[in-house]
Amino acid sequence: MNATMLLWQKQMKKTLVHPEEIVGMLIQPILWVVLFGVGMRSLMGAAAPGSGADYMTFMIPGIVALTAVSAAIAGGSTWLSERLIGIVKEYLAAPIPRLSILLGNAGSIVTKVLFQAIIILLVGLLMGANLSHNPAGWLGGLLLIAGYGIGFSGLALAVASATDSSAGYHMMIFLLQLPLLFLSNSLYPLQTLPLWMRLGTYLNPTTYVVTGLRQMTLAPTPTMGPDASIALWLCFLVTLAFAVTGMTVALKAFRRTIA
Amino acid sequence: MNATTAISTQNLTKRYSDEVLAVDGLNLIVPTNTIYALLGPNGAGKTTTVSMLTTLTEPTSGQAQINGLDVVRQAGQVRRQIGVTFQEIVLDPDLTGREALDFHARLYGIGKTARRAKIEELLALVELEEAADRRTNTYSGGMKRRLELARGLITSPAVLFLDEPTQGLDPQNRANIWAYIKTLKANTTMTLLLTTHYMDEAEALTDQVGIMDGGKIVVEGTPAALIAGMGADNIQITGSGPQDGFLAQVGKLPYVETCGALNGIIQIGVDSGSRRLVDIVERANRSGFTIEDISVAKPSLGDVFLKHTGRQLRDK
Repeated sequence: MNATMLLWQKQMKKTLVHPEEIVGMLIQPILWVVLFGVGMRSLMGAAAPGSGADYMTFMIPGIVALTAVSAAIAGGSTWLSERLIGIVKEYLAAPIPRLSILLGNAGSIVTKVLFQAIIILLVGLLMGANLSHNPAGWLGGLLLIAGYGIGFSGLALAVASATDSSAGYHMMIFLLQLPLLFLSNSLYPLQTLPLWMRLGTYLNPTTYVVTGLRQMTLAPTPTMGPDASIALWLCFLVTLAFAVTGMTVALKAFRRTIA
Repeated sequence: MNATTAISTQNLTKRYSDEVLAVDGLNLIVPTNTIYALLGPNGAGKTTTVSMLTTLTEPTSGQAQINGLDVVRQAGQVRRQIGVTFQEIVLDPDLTGREALDFHARLYGIGKTARRAKIEELLALVELEEAADRRTNTYSGGMKRRLELARGLITSPAVLFLDEPTQGLDPQNRANIWAYIKTLKANTTMTLLLTTHYMDEAEALTDQVGIMDGGKIVVEGTPAALIAGMGADNIQITGSGPQDGFLAQVGKLPYVETCGALNGIIQIGVDSGSRRLVDIVERANRSGFTIEDISVAKPSLGDVFLKHTGRQLRDK
């Protein structure tokens, strides 16, 4: 069996051994959509009648991005743990490509991200979000999510390769995570932001993923049109570039640990 | 490169920082189908040497080859030739013993039928059949060590590295593992390089021993030859007074095979310790040397280590 697939399979098996992790993977996205979504829907509805349902629809892609980041952080933590225990030495001494070690890990993270993304979309649908019924849209959306998951996994794995301390890992990741999520249009539309912040969001791959997701998975309503702030082709291109950059950074950091 | 040489190094060096020179210009030749031990205390550079030879870390300078393949430039091919068990336990706590062996064998591309047969054989060898389907985080330290050994053996490598293979095992397990290693060597063309700080392991198991200290091999040879070079019995003395005069006297005696001192510990190899002890003590008195401690024993590799380094073979 291909080494990447073998390592992917191993990481997935480790997840299945921990039922609490599976429960967390299922419940977390549901809680986000139901608790945060319903709360924000009520808030928006009180401010401007009719806009609550629009906000529930609007924020679904942002929740997906947030979940992808959480899954990548957890995956990086597992990698750090394997490094510190010494399990990675088994992979390093084996006749497999170095890249497959990282791809197998990133692959298992992305699998979990996609699983949670599907749950978010389905729960969003149940909660009244105006999602597209076009399967091609959902597939395109999942591609974007996969690319984003690979990119952030790469960053998380790079950080986990660069430190020998769990506290250090979480601190460094926290510094990355906040701007990636909040300096974007995950939770608020671009046009409402001050100029300096809007310029910052254009440098953030999350903005492109979320915008692309909105175009692919949301259905326009009478009160909320499609998000045309960034061209779809550009969303895919930036996401691809982010995926490649993330894995390149991870590979470089990984190679430094075995110098 | 000679086809009968499994492991070869030329001035192999690993420096971690200005203060830490872990391996210092190591020159090593291990012939094919031999068992070679690097014997030395913790901190001697044994594990770092193994890390470089197994491509886990790159040398700072110098070269090394496994079956003629350079460990840096041909690292991928080297990995196909080797197996390794590490000094620390590196088992994944979420896998069962059987899953750990299966995963490892699949990493090396071993097919399903061969894998199954090998797993059963090795589980029987290390006596883990009953625990095989439990997660390794439920195993005792000894069980984990045995499973690690099984994992190192499962790929039947051309060159197997065992870093402290019997650390933490009881005598029965150690004897079983030694017997299996000797069988491996007799029935295959496998070459084994093991690191150990147990003298009895080096004496019982190996064809060649390299005594390692401070990142270098200080002396090398078969265990029997190294020990024979110490004399039939070893008298060890510590004390105070005119040491040089005492040693000069003792060195002229016909029954003394070797004598010397390093770091204040005098070692005298004689033909029979019980017969010669009184004479040695009298000569110490006559030369004004005051004996504070004296012992007689059959020489061991520990005494060889002491002779060449001036220190006891024990953890730093």
